[in-house]
Amino acid sequence: MNLRLLVQTLRWNRVRLLAVVIAAFGWGALIPIIYVNFSAAFKELANSGAFPKELMNFGSGSLFTLPGALTLGLQHPLAIAFVGMFAVGSTAGAVAGARERGTLEVLLSRPLSRRTVYLTLGGASVILVGVVMAALLGGQLAGMAIQGVTGEVDLWQLPLVFANGLLLWCAFAAFGMAASVTFDRGAPAMGLTMAYVLINYFLEILGSLWRDVDWSQQYSLFHHFNPGKILTGTADAFDFVLLALATLVPVIYALIVFPRRDLAAPS
Amino acid sequence: MHSAPVSTPEAVIATQALTKHYGKVQALVDLTLDVRAGEIFGFLGPNGSGKSTLIRTLLGFLHPTAGSATVLGLDIAADSVQIRARTGYLPGGIVLYDSLSGAGVLDFLSDLQDSPPVRREELCEKLQMPPSVLRRKVRDYSRGMRQKIGVIQALQHDPELAILDEPTEGLDPLMQQAFYGIMDELRAQGRTVFFSSHVLSEVERICDRVAIIRAGQLMALQHVSELLDRRKRKVELRWRGTAPDLSTIPGLADVVVNGDRMRATLLGEVAPFVRAIASPSLEDLTIEPARLEEAFLEYYAGDDASEEVRG
Repeated sequence: MNLRLLVQTLRWNRVRLLAVVIAAFGWGALIPIIYVNFSAAFKELANSGAFPKELMNFGSGSLFTLPGALTLGLQHPLAIAFVGMFAVGSTAGAVAGARERGTLEVLLSRPLSRRTVYLTLGGASVILVGVVMAALLGGQLAGMAIQGVTGEVDLWQLPLVFANGLLLWCAFAAFGMAASVTFDRGAPAMGLTMAYVLINYFLEILGSLWRDVDWSQQYSLFHHFNPGKILTGTADAFDFVLLALATLVPVIYALIVFPRRDLAAPS
Repeated sequence: MHSAPVSTPEAVIATQALTKHYGKVQALVDLTLDVRAGEIFGFLGPNGSGKSTLIRTLLGFLHPTAGSATVLGLDIAADSVQIRARTGYLPGGIVLYDSLSGAGVLDFLSDLQDSPPVRREELCEKLQMPPSVLRRKVRDYSRGMRQKIGVIQALQHDPELAILDEPTEGLDPLMQQAFYGIMDELRAQGRTVFFSSHVLSEVERICDRVAIIRAGQLMALQHVSELLDRRKRKVELRWRGTAPDLSTIPGLADVVVNGDRMRATLLGEVAPFVRAIASPSLEDLTIEPARLEEAFLEYYAGDDASEEVRG
């Protein structure tokens, strides 16, 4: 890893990161407020039978319990957009985008191996994703403190939630980086990575809404990010192992493929 | 057709039967050449002839299909990072980081090079890039200013070898002259420059030796002076009285006599011709200088690609 490149990559992202961190913190803080103020109403609605019970869940989350609400907040499309901006957008464009613009040639004319460049850009993405995850969780913690419900969850488990979330998004980021080193242009790398995330998301939501196909959730990486289980002390080590594997495979692929690729002159 | 390449111990770049295919397209075919320490080596060819492919292969961007090469005595396949540590590279049509200032780009690339930018100040002065200009964002630069930053970033750390892909592209005539001056200084300091271009006049102006490539194949590898010596020159004579006997002069051809004037082409040395025509009746003599362009076009005779080469 090259420290100078890492610092510069983070600098290039600082304004966007600041905006996303503020938004993610705000969204995170909103979740406990929604839970405190609306969970009773949701429970009544669910018990009235006006809506199918499945519609009261979203992915692995729900608004009936605080851990469930926190999970929902972290699996909500807004949260996915916040983290995905760096885990998908930055990674898919990291190599392929630089290649398309022509700046990769300038970078690789320095004494940097392709593996160093890959690990540095990947490392920067992990930091960016980690900061956004921390902002989401920080917001949730602030929201819980404001609403006085911190006692409903085991706060000492929050670092584990952070690690679980970071692993999930590292898996997507690793896929994005693998796509990025495979293509000469940013668009196909971005498209493939977006498709990967959306398929995973679809499998998770589909299984939660349609119980007959709840097996589909097992095949979604999102299903293995479950803050609710962690906060209630029922974390499953398998989730961590699976997400670590889903991260490792594309990393190994990229480390093998990138140094062997021909980088013809940008058109 | 070309002189045999000699891979001497002091060869800074040496390729042996270097071949690169893109699928069925043969970008480089059995290319064998050497660039010696301390020379400015011109690599000539029109667009698409394989110039950039060779450069990119030497720097590790592309992997050779066959053959081998060394740069600064290091193998291009195994020691690419070390090669780039000792080399300065200007890519053709360089793209810079638009969000950084000119100085920011130079600092960033210098830091990544991990060598102090010992020549930056001098280069900025010669290429008229004062601090006020370097403080501006690259996105506000003209093409010529970007090219100047490209030249500076390639040379600022005083590399042992500079590989420059069409370095004067986008520079105005004044800056081209400044660039030629920089090349002259590098030569005087014993630095080696590998210089790709399709502007023949500048290759003729600054290079010691030149290689001409066509469709990935080496057509010629010679000293510029040798190449020029072999060129046909146009000569024109005017005399008083009887026309001199030119039939015995070696190398003279296409003779057209029109009254007291004669036009012809001369191949080879000028001295025997001048000696042969020396006479009190000679009134005027014009010998056009041999141009590299003619040598180049000879290798590209009948090839549309030659139209892309500028004199």
